[in-house]
Amino acid sequence: MAAGTTIHHHKPGHAQARVRRRRPGGKGAGLWHFLSFAAPGTLIYFCLVVLPITLSFGYSLTDQALLRPKTHFVGLRNYQLLLQDETFLQSLRVTTILTLIVVIVPNVLGVAIAVLLDRRGWLYNALRSVFFTPMVISSVVISVIWTRILADDGPINQALRALGVSEPPGWLSDPDIALYSLSSIVCWQMLGFCVVVYLAGLQGVPQELAEAAAIDGAGPARRFWSVTWPLLAPALTINTVVLLISAFKIFDHVKVITNGGPGTGTTASVALVILQEGFVENRTGYASAEAVVMLIVIALLSVITLRVLQRREVQL
Amino acid sequence: MRSTVPWLRPLVALVVGGVFFIPLYIALINVFKESRQVASGAMSLPIPPTFDNLIRVLTSPDSLFWSSLRTSVLVTSLSIIILTVLSAMLGHYLARQNTWWSRVIMVLLLCGLMIPPQVILIPITQVLKALGLMSTLQGLVLFNVGYYVPFGVFVFSGFMKGVPRELEEAAAIDGATRWQTFWKIVFPLLRPATASVLIFLGVWIWNDFLNPLIIYGPREGTTIMTGIYKSLGQYAADFGGMFALMFLATLPILVFYLLLQKQFVKGLTGGATKG
Repeated sequence: MAAGTTIHHHKPGHAQARVRRRRPGGKGAGLWHFLSFAAPGTLIYFCLVVLPITLSFGYSLTDQALLRPKTHFVGLRNYQLLLQDETFLQSLRVTTILTLIVVIVPNVLGVAIAVLLDRRGWLYNALRSVFFTPMVISSVVISVIWTRILADDGPINQALRALGVSEPPGWLSDPDIALYSLSSIVCWQMLGFCVVVYLAGLQGVPQELAEAAAIDGAGPARRFWSVTWPLLAPALTINTVVLLISAFKIFDHVKVITNGGPGTGTTASVALVILQEGFVENRTGYASAEAVVMLIVIALLSVITLRVLQRREVQL
Repeated sequence: MRSTVPWLRPLVALVVGGVFFIPLYIALINVFKESRQVASGAMSLPIPPTFDNLIRVLTSPDSLFWSSLRTSVLVTSLSIIILTVLSAMLGHYLARQNTWWSRVIMVLLLCGLMIPPQVILIPITQVLKALGLMSTLQGLVLFNVGYYVPFGVFVFSGFMKGVPRELEEAAAIDGATRWQTFWKIVFPLLRPATASVLIFLGVWIWNDFLNPLIIYGPREGTTIMTGIYKSLGQYAADFGGMFALMFLATLPILVFYLLLQKQFVKGLTGGATKG
């Protein structure tokens, strides 16, 4: 079969002399092609994502609220108010702390566990599944499980009491600790993702390189830092960007585990505050300004991180 | 270079994996324990195991489990089927066309990959209200399709690069229409991409909490995850019942994931461009 042979010789990236495309029909066929293949998906995407984004920017310049009979254009006033809104500023601080923890901890533990599990055999296959399981389970379920485990009379504190700690910490009820407990839960759930991505990256590290380094007298630590870690750069990029975006928009865990408490807003993330403002207080104009700030922060953070890490990939 | 202590790695791996697994272990054993056993030793095995918790959830008079299971199955299956069809066609179109507007659509879709739902939910409720679809199943499905179409397109158009253009040209010469070419020749070759789109979107949509909470609302009923959230108060003193409900809510998606994962791996090893 003639077509078959050309396919087998096809190499990606190889410059091909391409046969001029035959277009049955003329311009009408092209339009029909667009309408049948591209239009449905594009239209739904525009109505449910592009239009709402545009509307969010528009609303953020108004004083729209459910109980206000008339909506006025207020310019940038919402944004000025945001700068003095302690609830919002607090939520930015909370989200920043949580994001830092969730970007760093699963990355560090993930690469260590991936190196540990980078072997063949049923044991390592089974353990890979164990680490990945929380990714398939709903964050609502994960949150309820951990709420029970970290409860003041839960298993962890029972164990601590049995070990002789008379007053174990209130993991979720102490305002000083709750945010860190919450972050740890998110780290636990995201860890499996990092492990899987790093394991995939390790598959691409040629065995010969490590062996060559070993022959040259490099110890295990040296081999890791000089050979393996640089080759894991693309995996680090993926993990960091995904963790960054998931952590910054965190909502489910906060809503189910602490609902922003204990105390006032000690664990209230930006997403929680926006939805509170928009759907409970019904101040949709103001909430939209908060949403726009969130979108800009996420976009800037992920673009900068992507640039920095990709530049690093090239240099290495 | 082999390690000098051959049993060290499996031992460390086993311990680390074991510690990581403890929360899931606690959740799992509590499904089969009576509530008073749950309150005492949390780590002990459920001996003898009881199925009362599962039976209580399955036969509860408000049939919360069954009604929300029905909603979740409907929303998830409709969403992922529509998403697969639409994003496969759109991904194919964008990968094969090289016009300025197809590039603009592609860039706009890629931007959509990182937009958090919180940013657009307020206007979305108003768009859905205008369409008369707020607090309906169709509204939630429509939102899922719009919100996740970038991911589907991203996967399918990426995979299209490995499908030789010559196949489609050969089919066109043989007189096949674009529609026939796509569904009979291209789409079957995209099986690994289809499997991964179904896996990811199935898991995300099934496990979704925020969007059904806002869009579907409590009035018309709940999906399985918003149902769990709603019944947290009801099960506050009944840990066994709570864990049984969560177990039953997770089981379908776990089975779906395991079944498709095999298909996914088979598709990868089968080779997509076996002439």
